[in-house]
Amino acid sequence: MIRTAYKSGITRASLSKRYLGNVSKLYYPEEVTGPVLVSENVPGPKTIELNKKLGEHFDNRATYFVTDYKNSLGNYISDCDGNKLLDVYAQISSIALGYNNPALIKTAQSEDMVNALVNRPALACFPSKEYGQILEEGILAAAPPGMTKVWTALSGSCANETAYKAALMYQASIKRGDNDFTAEELSSVMDNALPGTSDMVIMSFDKGFHGRLFGSLSTTRSKAIHKLDIPAFDWPKAPFPELKYPLSEFEAENRKEEERCLAEFERIIDQWPTQIAAFIVEPVQSEGGDNHASAFFFKGLREISKAKGVLMIVDEVQTGVGASGKFWAHEHWNLPTPPDMVTFSKKFQAAGFYFANPDLQPKQPFRQFNTWCGDPSKALLAKTIYQEVTHYGLVGRTAEIGDYVYGNLQSIFTKFPTQVKNLRGEKFGTFIAFEFNTANERNAFLVAARNKGLNIGGCGDQSVRMRPTLVFEREHADVFLQIVEDTLKQLYP
Amino acid sequence: MGISEQYFPNEPTAPVVATTEFPGPKSQESIAALNKVFDSRASYFVADYEKSLGNYIADVDGNMYLDVYAQIASIALGYNNPALIEVAKSDLMTRAIVDRPAMGNFPSKDLEGIASEILKVAPKGQDKLWSGLSGADANELAFKAAFMWYQGKKRGYTTEFTDAENESVMKNQAPGSPELAILSFKRAFHGRLFASGSATCSKPIHKLDFPSFNWPKAEYPEYKYPLSENEAYNKEEDKRCLTIVEDIFKSWAIPIAALLVEPIQSEGGDNHGSAEFFQGLRDITLKYGAALIIDEVQTGVGATGKFWAHEHFNITPAPDFVTFSKKFQSAGYFFHDSEIVPKHTYRQFNTWCGDPARMILAGAIGSEVTKHDLAARAQEVGAYLFAKLEALQSKYPKLMKNLRGKNRATFIAWSFEEPSLRNKFLADMKTVGVNIGGCAEDSVRLRPTLVFEEKHADILAAAIEKIYSSY
Repeated sequence: MIRTAYKSGITRASLSKRYLGNVSKLYYPEEVTGPVLVSENVPGPKTIELNKKLGEHFDNRATYFVTDYKNSLGNYISDCDGNKLLDVYAQISSIALGYNNPALIKTAQSEDMVNALVNRPALACFPSKEYGQILEEGILAAAPPGMTKVWTALSGSCANETAYKAALMYQASIKRGDNDFTAEELSSVMDNALPGTSDMVIMSFDKGFHGRLFGSLSTTRSKAIHKLDIPAFDWPKAPFPELKYPLSEFEAENRKEEERCLAEFERIIDQWPTQIAAFIVEPVQSEGGDNHASAFFFKGLREISKAKGVLMIVDEVQTGVGASGKFWAHEHWNLPTPPDMVTFSKKFQAAGFYFANPDLQPKQPFRQFNTWCGDPSKALLAKTIYQEVTHYGLVGRTAEIGDYVYGNLQSIFTKFPTQVKNLRGEKFGTFIAFEFNTANERNAFLVAARNKGLNIGGCGDQSVRMRPTLVFEREHADVFLQIVEDTLKQLYP
Repeated sequence: MGISEQYFPNEPTAPVVATTEFPGPKSQESIAALNKVFDSRASYFVADYEKSLGNYIADVDGNMYLDVYAQIASIALGYNNPALIEVAKSDLMTRAIVDRPAMGNFPSKDLEGIASEILKVAPKGQDKLWSGLSGADANELAFKAAFMWYQGKKRGYTTEFTDAENESVMKNQAPGSPELAILSFKRAFHGRLFASGSATCSKPIHKLDFPSFNWPKAEYPEYKYPLSENEAYNKEEDKRCLTIVEDIFKSWAIPIAALLVEPIQSEGGDNHGSAEFFQGLRDITLKYGAALIIDEVQTGVGATGKFWAHEHFNITPAPDFVTFSKKFQSAGYFFHDSEIVPKHTYRQFNTWCGDPARMILAGAIGSEVTKHDLAARAQEVGAYLFAKLEALQSKYPKLMKNLRGKNRATFIAWSFEEPSLRNKFLADMKTVGVNIGGCAEDSVRLRPTLVFEEKHADILAAAIEKIYSSY
């Protein structure tokens, strides 16, 4: 039996800016108007059965549900039981334009895509005649202010690690000047020993998440389970501000907290026994709990790092591509000088890092190098995503919808003042989070919401994060808000 | 009808040489433009993949090269293979591209079928799969699995972490982040990220200026060729290297969780090891409780005459991990022991956990290789080519030292006396329409597709002779 779908007829505070038209309806005339629930629970019986079979060969114990992508559309994800859930998790924040987006389908079925799939090039040795143009019209057209070049990779971890490599080679070449490698460097490096290998370090922040390969994992400081049993480099971490919310009520305290963290950041640079080549920071620490800091803090990081000759890498893997209400979240800061590198992946489908300084390309070729050096098929998708986002003004739309959601969540949470706290992400698009008092309460919320047809994820220990697509419209916001409110009422009657 | 003719009825019958310099003028112009935004200094030429077909790669200047380098050994079935085009145009592929899943959380109902296709060609003894994105990624994922498995054995598979582990790990310190090592070999290549880079020992330029783990390197056999005339010497060489491996296990200050080895060290110079050597490695890893990881990134998918090169060695018991990438398009590792999967979830985890689009291609490549028996075909073609090269070797012994890869299909290499001469040879081969690559400082490696046949071997051998006769 199909349970009643949530209706989006509730009256709410209207959007602050002019309504520009419904992009979601344009892309997805057939999108459902609310969740459709056919099984008693999510996951349903078919998921359980299919997942059991899959588990014989592939570790699938983290499965939420087995998904029917063919029947997913727009903001709604379908599971194999036929449930359709409003998706504000969107493949851990990596679906930009909704499921089965017609513009992406067109790109996926183009001759260019077929070519990119069946003739995958070793890009640095045998680039295709199209690659330059694909980059210029897509990834590079979307470059953050001040960035003019790109190096492509395959995932967020790999993007960050290639950026670390660029930083390490850059700093070493400054020290080395015009001298060639020494004989001692050339021989010691083959034993993984100094001076050929390096004792320089990459600094990151407490609760930061930058990936799970060995270099990136050494900078990841989110949760023990991400790191246990894996050898790590002895690299420094600085404290990240723990702000009090709402920000407007705690301005003085928060400023003090950010000043404390900046002082500690500077102290570590001065006192760490080896040179710090670069630091990496997320505009919002996402996996670590959606921890925000103000433009003041990030400007401070830029200023200190610039003065100390430490490179600044901004990790926009999760925050990039529109969700924050700017194309790149660090554009919220208005930095006086741009970061040295900006990394990307997830929603952009392609991965890599942006930069401007030509010296971030090592003097010798084949140092920042590997077989594929990226993937043209993903660069084609990034191009379409950029073009669609620009064409429909989806960044501005997301900023407006985010304001609408934020305002309404604020009023819903006034009814649950002791249970839900620290709403964050004001004026930050749909990049919104809130938290519960315990992990158990948070998890109960996620499960109960899923059973009402809302697919939503957690972050940190007890937070809930909203990561919808960029075609999340007011009617989706209304469904979302209604389910949040109903779930809270159910949990805290 | 040959397989290349079946797939590519319009494949060129000979290379076309349209320019006198390489890269040609249009390539140079295009490389200069691209280099402003994307580091292109390593470019050989700018390719026109639309015009490339089968074993021939076209560049923007109108050259059409016979390609025996094949995107650094990563094109299995030739350019614009019709079977792969069909797969690329399928609805399954479209979905995989436009709705890329976070496979660990939201696997598609298509995934079971996609993974099954890959597992149909799993190495003997392996029945499980974890998926990554590149060779370096595949190896590092295998390292992580090996470390978790190794520590799990010490503490007990189901034993919970201690408070000390949970706290120290957030400082990147032991016991939570233990000091553990991967043992690899001198001249090995396993990738260029930080841990794979620590295991790589091919050339300084691959490693300089990067922090690395203090991981040991053993010696990989350095055989005398031809093998049939140097059996006793090479047997001693195996013994010598195995002794070094065991000594490292006994003496290295950091516990060694896994031994990582290529069936043929490819970037490092196409260095071969015998079945006895590999069985010796297996025996030592069992004795010391370490995992055996076979890196089949370059050797896998048919080019040695078996689908997986280590199947030539009949290693028993089967290796613990077999990593793959390149020709398979998808990357990851095969395994069989269920305790390789850690007890807790979210330990071997990331956003995408692979890419179904590439996994679909891997399945299709596996199925074509099986259907047309292309590994066996590569063995035949390889034997044919090897005989021709032997003939060239006897004519030009100084230009073709240590010809190797006999009975390893088209996975063939030889060396020059001087790196400069090797480099000249690689460049000169462009003038006769052949795209060919080197390995180590002084060697040439052949890495053609699996649809490289006798007629292509004839063109290649004639081209080599033409260049050699001019020296």
